[in-house]
Amino acid sequence: MFGLDFLRNFDSSPKFGLLAQCPSPKQSMPKPLIVLKDLAKKFGRTAAVDKITMSVGQGEVFGFLGANGAGKTTTIRMLCGLTRPTAGIASIDGLDVWRDRFRIRSKFGYVSQKFSLYSDLTVRENLRFFAGAYRQDHINDRVERMVKEMDLEPYRDARAAKLSGGYRQLLSMACALIHEPALLFLDEPTAGLDPVHRQQIWDFLYQVTQSGTTIFVTTHYMDEAERCTDVGFVQHGRLVAKGSPRELKHGLGGDLLEVHVEPPMAAVLELRKFPGINAVDLRSGRLRIHADDPQALMEQWQQHWPFPGLKWLGYSWAEPDMEDVFNAYAQGRHLQNQVQAAVK
Amino acid sequence: MNLLDSLKAILTIAYKEFVHVWRDRRVLLLILVLPPFFTLVFGHAFEGAAVRDVSTMFINADGSSESQKFTDLLHTKDVLGALVEGSDNPDKVRKDINDLLQNLRDTFAWKPWVGDPKGPIDLVRNGADAAIVIPPGWGKSLQEGKPIAMRAVLDGSDTNTAPSVQQLLQQALFVFQLNERYELIKNLPAEVVDLGEQLSPETQHEFSSSLTPWEFDTEILYNPKLLFVDYVVPGMVGLILQLVTVTLIASTITREREVGTLSQLLVTPLRQSEIVIGKVVPYLFISMFLIVGTIAIGHLHFGIKIYQPLLLSVVCFLFLLCSLGLGLLISAFSKTQTQAIQFSVFLLLPIILLSGAFAPLSQLPGSIRIFSELFPLTHFCRAFRSVNMYQADFGFIAADLFALAAGAMITGIGAAYLLRTADD
Repeated sequence: MFGLDFLRNFDSSPKFGLLAQCPSPKQSMPKPLIVLKDLAKKFGRTAAVDKITMSVGQGEVFGFLGANGAGKTTTIRMLCGLTRPTAGIASIDGLDVWRDRFRIRSKFGYVSQKFSLYSDLTVRENLRFFAGAYRQDHINDRVERMVKEMDLEPYRDARAAKLSGGYRQLLSMACALIHEPALLFLDEPTAGLDPVHRQQIWDFLYQVTQSGTTIFVTTHYMDEAERCTDVGFVQHGRLVAKGSPRELKHGLGGDLLEVHVEPPMAAVLELRKFPGINAVDLRSGRLRIHADDPQALMEQWQQHWPFPGLKWLGYSWAEPDMEDVFNAYAQGRHLQNQVQAAVK
Repeated sequence: MNLLDSLKAILTIAYKEFVHVWRDRRVLLLILVLPPFFTLVFGHAFEGAAVRDVSTMFINADGSSESQKFTDLLHTKDVLGALVEGSDNPDKVRKDINDLLQNLRDTFAWKPWVGDPKGPIDLVRNGADAAIVIPPGWGKSLQEGKPIAMRAVLDGSDTNTAPSVQQLLQQALFVFQLNERYELIKNLPAEVVDLGEQLSPETQHEFSSSLTPWEFDTEILYNPKLLFVDYVVPGMVGLILQLVTVTLIASTITREREVGTLSQLLVTPLRQSEIVIGKVVPYLFISMFLIVGTIAIGHLHFGIKIYQPLLLSVVCFLFLLCSLGLGLLISAFSKTQTQAIQFSVFLLLPIILLSGAFAPLSQLPGSIRIFSELFPLTHFCRAFRSVNMYQADFGFIAADLFALAAGAMITGIGAAYLLRTADD
């Protein structure tokens, strides 16, 4: 049963054949390393982060998902002690992220959203600087080892500005890991990278977890969410779902209906208007339908196909992936908002 | 050891900052070329405070021999023979006369002019800075014992030139009058001289005293040659260094804020104080190098004498520290580099005008001088001049040194405090 799920999981992310490297989902709840309780941040009157309560266990690869502006970066910056929470508390390894920020700084590494290393310094100079800043000994050995591990050997004396996006990101990670922290925060580490470099970065992250390092990563690539042991969805500053990818997919309530119709583009628009359908996505030429009751819908359509302009070619059932989960939550939220607006 | 760790951390940042400057060729060029260049240009610009080549319209509307003689004097012909002859100390008089003639030669650039000597005279439309008119009947009026005044028209918009020309004209006229007096005495008929000798010796002496010019033996202290350059070079050096330090360091923190490296810096265990000190150190070295360079130019090129180099070094050091602190405070306070530069410019403007770099502070009203005391340049200029021109000792400038040190502390602590979060 368990193994089968895994294989399906594998199928649903055909771009990345990472089965062998995937960390196995934790069976028992690990000891919490990061704990957030009603954590909130307001900028003026807008709430960037709205009372998030959750915990992240030791050794987990926690994916923090959400659209742009959902509050992911603000949350990470609060956890890193870079900005002061307006309400609530958060702790890392029992230490308050704001009050004890100076004490926990040596415990974690942080890779921020945009490339933020010294571009006029070379690869090795950047590493040396951060090794010094983290008060490490044997700086030369450390730097040389990191250069090797990160495949940065050919660029060791190149200025950081000259590196391509992927190597810059690798260098950022190398700088954040130079002091071998037990926790690594990554804010959209793969944004804007090509698939090869994304692969390379995830490979590296898995390598890092081997030594027990906990990873807190934000992304809006849903296929990357599949690679996390635990995932949280944040929307408008609120945590709307949290669980392992498997739990979240199961939470959708079964498989999704996929229909094959021609022409597909027109069909998406038509079907979206059909009562009982919440969302329609086009995936590899098939229409994936999020409906309140897909089984009933299918039976209804088998008796009578209500769209004379669309040619019915067949159907199948598909296991939901993280993108479906994300859409469902986004959609649910969206509907809820509409209801609230209507009530008012 | 904790202190050793801190020292290592400071050196780590200092090295990085130094590399930033070293690799930014444009900034490097700016630092290395502009201060010495400005020192040379400003120095020469303010070197001669003396008024030279004043374009002066001249008309001698009188036809008399007296007017011709005075005209000749103004045109630097030596017509003062009687004065030398009649003097007890002809060498000194000779020298004074030569100085006067030289001064006249330097000051005036004559411009031929024809017009109504009594009518209004327009300087600007004639392209002149001054006009001198010997009115008709001047020579005659002298002979009749009712001397009429000559006419001088000066341009008051230049507050330096008009008084200086006026003074020179008075001096020339005074010497001319003295010369005439001697000539008169020399040509007195014998019976008048005989008559004079019948006077009591006291009266004779008083009479001869009244004929001799009474003068001050003026002793000018501190800047005996009255060279403006001696006064202005410390101000200039200070101003250039103030400019360079503030603008250089003002972009260091804001650049990191803009690029995002500040967040990266603040998640490391580096203390705020270590970041501040680490950032100041390389700029302190660079600016010390610059201040030594510019003062060396002042010394070698403009002949500024340097007294008490040790005390001056303390003044320079504290001034640079305070200026860098100020720049760093601006840097920590600004959101973007553009803002930091704007802040610096708006701050530097009053500093230039109110710090006494180019004009004595005592010329400013008291209420404004309170502001002046807030600027590091004010204290630098005062302390530097006190030491270098007045040969003051440490005690004399202690207040200024204390102000600079306090400024460095306050701005440094302020900058460190502002670094407690990366909040934008």
